[in-house]
Amino acid sequence: MNTNNNVYTIVYTTVVVVIAAAILAIAAMALKPRQQANIKAETISQMLTAAGFSSKEDLAKLGNDQILAMYSDNIKTAFLIDAEGNKTDELETEVSSIELQDNLKVENKNIASGNPSLPVYVFEKDGAEINVIPCYGAGLWGPIWGYIAFDADCDQILGAYFDHESETPGLGAKIKDEAWFREQFKGKKVDFEHPDNPFAIVKGGAPAGDASKVDAITGATMTCNGLDAALDNWFRAYIPFLQKKAGAAMEDDCCGEDGCEDCDHDHDHGHDHNHQHNHQEG
Amino acid sequence: MNEDLKKTLLNPIFKGNPITVLVLGICSSLAVTVQLKGAFVMALSVIIVTGLSSFIVSLLRNSIPNRVRIIVQLVVVAMMVILVDQVLRAYAYSIDKQLSVYIGLIITNCIVMGRIEAFALGNKPIPSLLDGLANGAGYGMILIIVAFFRELLGSGTLFGLRVLPASYVPNNLVILPPMALIILGCIVWVQRSIQKDLQEK
Amino acid sequence: MAKNFFDKIRPTFSEGGKLSWLHSSFDAFETFFFVPNRTTRKGGTHVKDCVDLKRLLIIVVIALVPALLFGIWNLGFQHSKVFGLGWGFWQMVWYGFVKIIPLYLVSYIVGLGIEFASAQMKGHEVSEGYLVSGFIIPLIVPVDVPWWMLAIAVAFAVIIGKEVFGGTGMNIWNPALLARAFLFFSYPSKMSGDSVWVGGLSKALAGGTPWKGGEVVDALSGATPLSHASLDGLSAAGTSVWNLFLGDIPGAVGETSVIAILIGALILVCTGVASWKIMCSSVLGALFVGWLGNVGGVTDIPCWEQLLLGGFAFGTVFMATDPVTSAQTECGKWIYGFLIGALCITVRLFNPGYPEGMMLAILLMNTFAPLIDHYVVSANVNRRLKRAKTV
Repeated sequence: MNTNNNVYTIVYTTVVVVIAAAILAIAAMALKPRQQANIKAETISQMLTAAGFSSKEDLAKLGNDQILAMYSDNIKTAFLIDAEGNKTDELETEVSSIELQDNLKVENKNIASGNPSLPVYVFEKDGAEINVIPCYGAGLWGPIWGYIAFDADCDQILGAYFDHESETPGLGAKIKDEAWFREQFKGKKVDFEHPDNPFAIVKGGAPAGDASKVDAITGATMTCNGLDAALDNWFRAYIPFLQKKAGAAMEDDCCGEDGCEDCDHDHDHGHDHNHQHNHQEG
Repeated sequence: MNEDLKKTLLNPIFKGNPITVLVLGICSSLAVTVQLKGAFVMALSVIIVTGLSSFIVSLLRNSIPNRVRIIVQLVVVAMMVILVDQVLRAYAYSIDKQLSVYIGLIITNCIVMGRIEAFALGNKPIPSLLDGLANGAGYGMILIIVAFFRELLGSGTLFGLRVLPASYVPNNLVILPPMALIILGCIVWVQRSIQKDLQEK
Repeated sequence: MAKNFFDKIRPTFSEGGKLSWLHSSFDAFETFFFVPNRTTRKGGTHVKDCVDLKRLLIIVVIALVPALLFGIWNLGFQHSKVFGLGWGFWQMVWYGFVKIIPLYLVSYIVGLGIEFASAQMKGHEVSEGYLVSGFIIPLIVPVDVPWWMLAIAVAFAVIIGKEVFGGTGMNIWNPALLARAFLFFSYPSKMSGDSVWVGGLSKALAGGTPWKGGEVVDALSGATPLSHASLDGLSAAGTSVWNLFLGDIPGAVGETSVIAILIGALILVCTGVASWKIMCSSVLGALFVGWLGNVGGVTDIPCWEQLLLGGFAFGTVFMATDPVTSAQTECGKWIYGFLIGALCITVRLFNPGYPEGMMLAILLMNTFAPLIDHYVVSANVNRRLKRAKTV
């Protein structure tokens, strides 16, 4: 057969390409569930580490199924909120159909344009609620992101986890590698009074006693600045929600079944109380 | 094993090593050798891709139309690389994240196409398979040597296990690509001092 | 008397003698003391000039001495200031002296050791190119650099920077800067930042306790003027233009005193050892970009003050002018120098990642120097060809 005539060439290439495409399609379909489970497990590990359920190293030793199961067992509810802090959608938390909002890059743009769809993951640990929210931004060489865990009334930070794509090893990469950096966040708060700078990572050391500042990493100024900007951006977007949560939690605490006669509502925090209780100032 | 096959297998390891002698495939050897684990996975991937691509192309060698020869080779290589990438993403996700684009870049690795053109098109399938595997192995060997030094000096660990005492101050420069090229240069230096007939006059 | 000594032992080191394999080392020491008496082949005219490579390099070393002396005093001065010790003049000089001598020992022992060994292995003479590089290296690194780090950096600079390319005169990059760059990229936390430029400060800060009875004064963190990057910052730190010029500020040992460097520049230019063209064009380039920065509102430090900050002055006078690594053609020197000055200030102003740009600027231009020369020469050739055609 003359291998160089036109018809043969066209038929041959078509056949080769079709066969290659078919093989790849079959392989991709067969492997897809595992791949998606991998991606989900990675995101969930980061969240679980921030919330304090385990450490990233320990989670890495478990298999995907165990991590997904851990998520399902410990999650109370997960939903999306809009820019005003109102719930817009629920996310599935059943182990076989876990939904996550992990397209943080897109949401980062949406925050800027004013109509984001932000995820909130509410876990339950030893009876107490833990709210986990993500953050995302630009580091020095590539994107950086992380998860911050708040307590039940979204007042104090319980833990954090940060990751990066291509920061300098030994410097910017320390936001992920060094535990002390993450530990600093425990017990800190978001500064609602100053929405233009709700959190700060301070070069040279945060002033002791300031609940909304942590120390930056020496030599990783640019990465820490990027993380600072990311935290500011995302905290600001979540402030309506966090404040609502804080307000609601306060109500739950003191507004029992008898109404609020015994309550001593403190209106000095500047929180927006969006509730319909009629109560007498006690 | 007959002499020819033995030569095919052993040549690419030393005398005809694709990286140090043919100077092919340098870029990926700089990027993925920061850690031994990554280098190992990359080496395995290249061995599989080169071997199997050579094998398949050799099977097809008499039927490929001449005008579309390179394109057909490219389709075969691309298919193998994508398969490897998908498998890694499914079964070794964390390593795949570390190696990210470099697995995909195996398609552009000159060793693969180079061996197909130079060997597989003119030889029987089994020798082509062996030639591909051996070249991949030669490449892999260099990768592992470079990664050994880079991980040892840059983090004090090997395969993630701490080897040097904690008081060792890690050297940041060896983690960056320029130092990898210098280490590669030193390997070429050592090889040419030992095998003097490789030195050009 | 010394000559007799050398004459007596020379046979042992010549061909056939017992220690002839060490003849390179013997050669090196002999020519260090005496002008070599080998002449060019018979016939033709000979020029007898006692200024050979060794003499040239010794002049450069002499030009470096003012900067070294001032730096020694400054080390003690800064240390005394930051720790509130209130030392006298000689105490400061002694402190600086004691701190810098080990660095010189490491630099020369390791550097010359490698040079001697390579020369022996190749059977060549030892060339004295390392004399100047070895002198410069301790002047541009932080004074507290651990000695083993310095040793590795020197080994890197000499082996990979010089020997691999063929030894003295064949290197593309300035070896002193290679050592500095190696340290900078290998151990960045120890090489930059605010605490490394004052002796003993990083150890004290790390320890967190007062050191030897003195206490770290809060306001002076040991930050160099470059880290302040604005006029307000500079005045807040109490640094005036006169401070910058005289050099009693934190910084690398050789780099701070512009006066001392200018004395060195004078020596080099008057003896014809270094090219004034490179120095001038470097200053022009820096002024130009500094002015652009002022006009563009990037910085409020006036462009002439940029010349006094950081390592610019030292680099321009001693390292950009290195005859081996700089451009060789006269026209090329103008271009080369201008780009060095411009690049240095560009990195300082427009790159937030690096506060100092001189090292990077010089190394980059070292790479391009042959290209600059090539284009200058071919432009010249083309011009002459055109002229020849029209005649």
